Order: sequence, then C-alpha cells, then structure tokens
Amino acid sequence: MAAVKVAGAKVAEAPRTAGPSGRNRRYRLWFALPAIVLVTVFFLLPFIANGVFAFMQWTGYSTTIRWIGLGNFRLVNELGILRHAVVVTLIYAVTGLIVQNVVSITLAKALQQTNRVNTVFRAIFFVPVLISPLAAGYIWAAVLSPTGPLNTVLPWDHHYAWLGNSTTALLAVASIDAWKLSGLITLVYVAGFNRIPRSVIEAATLDGAGAWRRFLAVEFPLLAPAFTFNVVLSLIGAFSALDIVFATTAGGPGDATTLLNVAVYNEYGQGLFGTASALSFVVALMAIVTAVPLIGWLRRREVQL
Amino acid sequence: MKRYLRYVFLTLFAIPWIAVPFWLLLVNSFKTEGESNVLSMSLPHVWNAASNYATVITQGQYFTGLRNSLEVDVPTILAVLLLGSMAAWTYARSSSRSLRFAYYGSAMSIVLPPAVIPTVYILTKMGLEGTQVGYILVMVGTRLGIMVFLATGFIRSLPHDFEEAAEIDGASKWQIYTKVVLPLLAPLLFTAAVLLIISVWNDFFFALFLLQDSGSATLPLTLYNFASSSLHGLRWNLVFAHVILTSLPLLIAYIALQRRVLSGLTEGGVVG
Repeated sequence: MAAVKVAGAKVAEAPRTAGPSGRNRRYRLWFALPAIVLVTVFFLLPFIANGVFAFMQWTGYSTTIRWIGLGNFRLVNELGILRHAVVVTLIYAVTGLIVQNVVSITLAKALQQTNRVNTVFRAIFFVPVLISPLAAGYIWAAVLSPTGPLNTVLPWDHHYAWLGNSTTALLAVASIDAWKLSGLITLVYVAGFNRIPRSVIEAATLDGAGAWRRFLAVEFPLLAPAFTFNVVLSLIGAFSALDIVFATTAGGPGDATTLLNVAVYNEYGQGLFGTASALSFVVALMAIVTAVPLIGWLRRREVQL
Repeated sequence: MKRYLRYVFLTLFAIPWIAVPFWLLLVNSFKTEGESNVLSMSLPHVWNAASNYATVITQGQYFTGLRNSLEVDVPTILAVLLLGSMAAWTYARSSSRSLRFAYYGSAMSIVLPPAVIPTVYILTKMGLEGTQVGYILVMVGTRLGIMVFLATGFIRSLPHDFEEAAEIDGASKWQIYTKVVLPLLAPLLFTAAVLLIISVWNDFFFALFLLQDSGSATLPLTLYNFASSSLHGLRWNLVFAHVILTSLPLLIAYIALQRRVLSGLTEGGVVG
C-alpha cells in the first residue's frame, strides 16, 4: 500500500519538479547563480582556505608562504594563547547562554499574552537588540564602573572594579552579550509558547499538574524548537564574539577576556597571519564540534506535534 | 491580581535592565567631561549637550560615518533580499541534486563562523582590499545563507498553483518571480529585512578587518576609533553622545515601525 502511494506521488510530481521543459530548468539555475557565486567566493572559499592557512607559515614580514604542519598550533599553545582562549570562550558561551535563557524564558512567560500592556513591555525590552554590541559594551562599562550606578546601589565595598577583576570581567562581558540578544530571544520564546496547543495545557491542568510542573513537563519540551534555535545561535555568536570585549576590557585584565576571536585579531594585528589562521581554525572546529551534534541531539528531543 | 503582580514584576525588572543603562547614557551625554567622569545618574549641573554633540559631529566624523554606512548597508541589504529570495525560489521548486548541494552549502554559512583572514587575502588578490565594494561583497556573501534558508522554507510552504497559472498564461520566469513570488514573500521579506538591517548596520567585526585604514569607516568603526582616540581613558560625555547619534537612525526607524517589527518577529515564525 505504501509503495503504491509513493509510486503515485512520484508520477504526480514528475512533471512538476522537472519543469515543463529543459529551458525552464536553466532559467532557474540563473536565478540561483548570483547567490551561489557570492556564497562560494566570499564564504565557502575563505572557510576552506582558512583550513589550509592554519598549517602554513605566513607572516607580514616575508613574502613566502610555506607548509609547516602543526607548527602554528604548537606555537600558540606554547605561548599559552590557545588553551586559555578556548577556555575563556567556552566560559563566555555558557555564561551568555544561561543568562540569556533565564531572562528570555522568564520574560516570555510573563509577556506571553498579546495585550496592550505586554506589547509596550515587549517593545521596551527589544530596544537593546537594536543598538550595536559596541554601544552596548560602552553603556555597560559605565554601569559597572567603580563609580557607576551598580556600585552606588550595592551596600558593600564601594567602587569595586567589576571589569578589573578576571572572573567578574569575563562573566560581565558575557552577560552584556546576553543583554543585547535577550529581547530578540524573548520574542522567539513568546512565539514558541503560543504555538503550544491550549488543549495540551488544559489536559495537564485537569490531571492536577501545577504551574511549575506544567512548565517543566509540558511546556518546556514543546518549546524545544525555539530552544534549539537559541542555543545554536548563541553558541555560534559567542565563538565569534569580539565587539563587546573591544568596547569594555580590550581582552583584559591581563588576558582574562581574550576570547578566541580577540586572540585572532591580536595575532593578525602583529602580522602573524599563520597563527591567526590557526586560532580562527579552532573557532571553526569548535563551531562544528558543538553545533552539529547539538542540533541533532536537540532535534531528537523535540516533541513532534 | 495575578496580572497586576506580573506588571509589577516586569516594571521592577525593566528598571535595572533598561531604564538605568539608557538613562545613564542619555544624561551623561549632556554633561561636561569632568562631571560625566563620575558616571552618576543625576541631572547635569552644567548643560553641555550642544558642545558634546557638535564635537562628535566634527571630531567624531559622524556624518562621514553615516554616509559610509548608508553607502554600504543599503546595497548590501537590497542585494541579500533580492539574490537570496531568487535563489530560494529555485531551491524550493527544484529537485535537482546539485542545487540541493548548493542549498546546503549556503545554509552552512549560518552555523559556521566566517573566516576573516582568508577573506582579506582573497580581496587583496582581487584588488578590492579596503574598498567599499569588497566590504559589500563579503557582507552579502556571509549574510545570504540565512536569507536563503528562511525564504526557501517559506516558499516550500506556498502552493504551486499561482506560479503554474502564471506560467500557463505565458508569463516569463522573471515576471512570475516579480509578480507572483515576491508579493507572496512580502511578510517574510519584511522580517528578514529587519534582522538584516540590525546585523548589517551594527557590524563591527568585518568593518574592523576590511575598512580599517580607509576613509570609508562605517558608523560602528567611527564610534570605536573616536572612543579609542583619547589617551586618558574614555571621555564618557562624548562617547555617549556618539553612541546616541550612531544608534539614532535605527531607533527612529524602530519607533516608526515598531508594531510591525514586533508582530513580524513574534508571529512570522522566524523558527520553523
């Protein structure tokens, strides 16, 4: 029966997908061609070239580019740049992810209904999304400064330099990143909550599930598509983050906030293109290693409706 | 009662999250340098707004930055919307194996970070290093993926009938695309444009690598250069005035279109 169905579908679709004539197919290729060329030359090609440059000795002080195998990686490792930058980047990514999800899911739950007051709140919480990460960095550097508003309201130890301490500086820059994105993620979660059918919630309520239980057992699993999107988006964002660090700590104090991409820029700025490419290659590897299985794993957990 | 508590919670949360940072930004952009050093929330004793904003416009090269931003961002956004939706139409309506391969290739650019050093290398080989054209090409090439991905999904959910009817009536491919597909795509194009404008207008990363040593610095780069130009730490009053002016174009657009922006993002289903 199934086979018949498939065969039937194929017959019905054949003229459609192939197009009435070969001429049409060529026309269609023309429509995709500019995008294919641009993505290939300015995204895919550099991406592949990066995997090659990472293994090349290449500096701004010499015209020769030659193969040195893992030399670049060994060099940045011996200098203590590689491991440190990877650890810092991972802490940044996880911190950002936690802050952003706690804030966005809470706000989305509070703002789920579309009414006049909630519309105003949604509009207000969206404003940080509009400003550049650089601007966000400057604003929060001021809020967190020793004489800034945060220290003024805290009852203890006045004039604490939040961005001057290794630990708090890293947590702070990651949180600024989360602050900037949370307005958008809130809307994604609002849409996610509103896609959950009322009947499912009502059934859970009738079965005696309280609000917290309903959230954990029913709503959160059904929120998975939005959650997947957000986790991947913010991890990738964190792996290639740079702007906020440039506006707040410039990688410091010491190298406490030297994310991988900041390290890439530092090497690049010194004309060390080979080692910069090697660090950039690590960013790419991290993105592949985290994002691909994560998408698969989270997709499997998603509840299909 | 429950709803009332919710509004109290939202207001209390909005104070440190939104009100404090933006008030601090605004009020300090009106102060003198000495007064803004303290970064207090109080109103200025001496109003220095005119002088601050004038300094940003002259020394901070605000209008040069604004013009440069418009010159590269407008073509970038239009090109991504047009070329992305054209490609998406092909991908959505074709079953060709090689086109599917091309589709995955561009969708990959969503999850993979761009490799900036080879990009500089390629632009140098093409003689486009440090030029606006080079920057536009890179921005388009790295932003097309998300556009293609969103639009392909959207077009796949549209019925075939309109396009077939137009084809039977003898419309050319270009006519079908502009008269049938584009109007149906309008809601998605609007939402995609919003996301693109936010990401392209605020781009600092590529501008830093590709436009650094040229007179074509965009607003974020102008802001960074201006803020870092002072040797004795940040001059908060001036940095803040620059931040406000740099953010102003998007804020104005947002205030005008706010309702559509938010409903597009909430109901348009950015996520499948």
